[in-house]
Amino acid sequence: MRVNPYPMPDLLAALNQTQLQAQEAALEIASGKSVNEPSDNPINAALLVENNDQATFNTGYLQNLTTINGQLSAADSTLSSVQNALQQAISLGIEGANGTLSASDQQAVVAQLQSIQSQIISLANTSYQGNYLFGGTVTSQPPYTASADPSGVTYNGNSDVNQVSIGNGYQIDINQPGSQLFSAPNNSVFLALNNLILALQSNSGVGAAVNALSAANSYLSVQRVFYGNAMSQVQSQTTYLNAAKLQIAQQQNTLAGVDLATAANNLSQADTDTQAALEAISKVGQNNLFDYLT
Amino acid sequence: MAGLFGSMSIALSGLAVSQQELETSSNNVANANTPGYSRETAVTEPGAPVVYGPLSIGTGVVLDKIESLRDPILEIQLNQETQQQSSLSTQQEQLQQIQTQFASSTSGIGADISNFFNSIQQLSPDPTNLALRQSVLTAAGNMATDFNNASNFLQTQATNLNLNVTEDVGEVNTLTSQIATVDQQISFLQNAKEDASTLVDQQTNLIRQLSGLIGVQVIQTEKGGIEVATANGTTLVAGGQSYALSTEANATGAEQVMAGSENITGSLSGGSLAGTIQIRDQEIPGLSSQLDQLAAGLSTALNAANAQGFDLNGKAGGNLFVPPPAGGVGAAAAMKVAITDPALIAASSDGTPGSNGNLANLAAVASDAVANGQTPIDSYSNLVFQVGSTTSNTSADLDASNQILQQLEDERGSVSGVSLDEEAANMVEYQTAYGASARVITTINAMLADAVNLGVEAAVQ
Repeated sequence: MRVNPYPMPDLLAALNQTQLQAQEAALEIASGKSVNEPSDNPINAALLVENNDQATFNTGYLQNLTTINGQLSAADSTLSSVQNALQQAISLGIEGANGTLSASDQQAVVAQLQSIQSQIISLANTSYQGNYLFGGTVTSQPPYTASADPSGVTYNGNSDVNQVSIGNGYQIDINQPGSQLFSAPNNSVFLALNNLILALQSNSGVGAAVNALSAANSYLSVQRVFYGNAMSQVQSQTTYLNAAKLQIAQQQNTLAGVDLATAANNLSQADTDTQAALEAISKVGQNNLFDYLT
Repeated sequence: MAGLFGSMSIALSGLAVSQQELETSSNNVANANTPGYSRETAVTEPGAPVVYGPLSIGTGVVLDKIESLRDPILEIQLNQETQQQSSLSTQQEQLQQIQTQFASSTSGIGADISNFFNSIQQLSPDPTNLALRQSVLTAAGNMATDFNNASNFLQTQATNLNLNVTEDVGEVNTLTSQIATVDQQISFLQNAKEDASTLVDQQTNLIRQLSGLIGVQVIQTEKGGIEVATANGTTLVAGGQSYALSTEANATGAEQVMAGSENITGSLSGGSLAGTIQIRDQEIPGLSSQLDQLAAGLSTALNAANAQGFDLNGKAGGNLFVPPPAGGVGAAAAMKVAITDPALIAASSDGTPGSNGNLANLAAVASDAVANGQTPIDSYSNLVFQVGSTTSNTSADLDASNQILQQLEDERGSVSGVSLDEEAANMVEYQTAYGASARVITTINAMLADAVNLGVEAAVQ
C-alpha cells in the first residue's frame, strides 16, 4: 500500500491527545478532585450531590444537638434546683408537723416556705436563650404567675410539646410542659406547696400536706427522667453523627478524591508522551528525495 | 517507410510528452499542501502505429490524459464522517458549556436545596428566633435565584444558538451556489471532452465543507453533473442550479430552517446545523423542563406545607413562594420567594409562636416526590447524572468519529496525497527520458548530415 505522505495531522492529533491528558492530570492534582465536571464521571457526580446533601444535614443535625443539649440540660438543672427546694420545703413541713414550734417559729417556717414557693415559681419561669422552658409551646411569656388560685399560681402555657429532628427520620421531644411537671392534675407541686403553707398557717392537717408534697416531688422526679433520657439520646446521637460525618467525608473522597500518586504518574507520563510526540514531529519530513538530487 | 524525419517526429513526441509529464509533476509538487488536492499522473500511450503490410511501425508517444487519483467511495465516506463528526463536535462544545452550570456539588441548585431544608431543621429547636427564620428566607432566596440563573443560562444559550443556525444556513447557501457554479463548469469541460480534474477537486472540497454544516447526499447524474440533497431529500443543487435554504423564527423565536415553505428543521441530520438544532430543540428544552418541574414541585409542595401551619403572628400560613405558572412551564425562571417578613414562616402547628410542629411538614417536603416521582435532591442529582452522561457519551462518540475521520484522511492521503519522494523519482525518470529523446534527435541530425553531405561530418545548418 502507498504510504500516506501527510503524517502531520496524525501526529498533531496525537500531540493534542497527550496534551489533553497532561491538562486533565494537572487539573486533578490542582483541584484535588477527580470529578471536576459531571462528564468526568456522571454517576459519581450525581452521588456527590447526594453526598453533599447528607453532609449538610449531618452538620445541621449536629448543630441542633448542641442547641437542644443546652436547652435540655438547662431544664434538667432547673428541675434539680426545684427538687432541692422541694426537699427543703418537705423538711420544713416535717418540722412544722411536730407541733412543738412556737408561734413565732411557726411563722418563720411559713415565711421560709413562702420564699421557697416564689423561688419555685421563679425556677418554673426559667428561660433559655429567650424562650421559657416550661410553658409548652408558649415560650414567649412566663408560664407561671402568682394568683389567688388554690395552687397559688396560674399556668399561662399549654400542654404542647416541640419535636426536633436529630437524624433522618429521628425526632425527639425537647420539652415537657409545666402542666405536666409542676401543675399536673393530681400531683401539682404548686398546689401541694400552697396547701402546706395553708395547713401550717391554720395548724391543721400539716402531716397530710407534707405527705402530699412528698408525693408531688416523687412525681416530679419521675417526670424529670424525660430530660435525662433525652440528654442521653442527644449524647449517643452526637457520637453517631460524628462517626457518620467521617464516613460521609470518606465517601466523598472515594467519589471525587484524587489518587495523587496515580495523577502525578499520569501527568509525568503525559509529559513524556508530549515530548516524544514533539520530537517525532520535528523529525518527520525533514528530508525527501529532492534533497539528494543534484 | 517513415524515414529519418519520421524518427525525428517520434523523438519529438517523446520530448513533448516528457515535458508534459514534468509539468504534471511540477503541478503536484506545487499543490503538495493544497487541501483537497488529488495528485495527478500523466497517462501516456503509444501513438497509433503505421502499418505497412506485415510491419507495424510505432509513431511515438501521445499523452492520453492527465488523471486525478481519487477514490470516490472514500470521498463519500469522508463526507459522511465529516457530517457525523461536525454534528458531534458542535453538540459536545455546547454540552461542555451547559454542564458547568451543574458541575459543583457544594454550590448551585443541589446545595441550595440541601441548605434550604437544613435551615428549616435549624429553626426547629428555636422557632421564634428571627435570625434563624431569616436564614430560612435567605436559603429560599438563594435556591430561587439559582433556579432562575440556571434557567436563564439555558434560555440564553438557546437564543445564541439561533444565531448559529442563521449563520450556518447562510454558509450552506454560499457553498451550494459555489458547488452549482463549479458543476456547470465541469459539465461544460466534460462535454468538450476536456480535463476537469482540478475543478472536481474544488467541488469535492466544497462538498466537504458543506458536509461540515449539513448532512447531504451527493448523487452523480448520468450527464456527469451532481445532485446534492439533504438527508431527507430536499434538493440543494441539481442541474447546475442551487436552491437556497432560508430561516424563519417560529412562535417561540427559534429559527427554523426552511426549504421554500417547507420546514425541514426536524429532519436535518449531520453537520453543525443538526448538532446545533439537537442541542437547541432537544437537550436544552429537556433540561429546562426538568428544572421547571423541580421548581414548580418545590414551590407548590412548600406552599401547601406552609399553609398547614401558623405564622409568628398566629395567622394561618400563606405562600412561601410565588405560585408557579400553571403546567409548570417557566417555573424555574419565575421562581421567587413570596414573603420578605421572616415572621410569616408558618412554623407553628397550634397557633402559638413557640410551636415548631409545622416545620416538620415543611421539612418533610425534602423526602416527598415533588418532581417526576422523585425527592427534590434525587431529582436534581438525576439531572446532574443526565447532563454528565450525555456530555461524556457525546465526547466518546466524538473521539470515535475523530479517529474514523483521521483514518479515512490517512486512506485518502495514501490514494490522493502528493508524495515528494515519488515526484522527485518521477522527475528523474522524465528528465532521463527527455535527455534520451533529445539524444535521439542529435543522432538523427548527425545521420541527416551524413546523408546530405555524403559523409562529410558537418551539421546541416
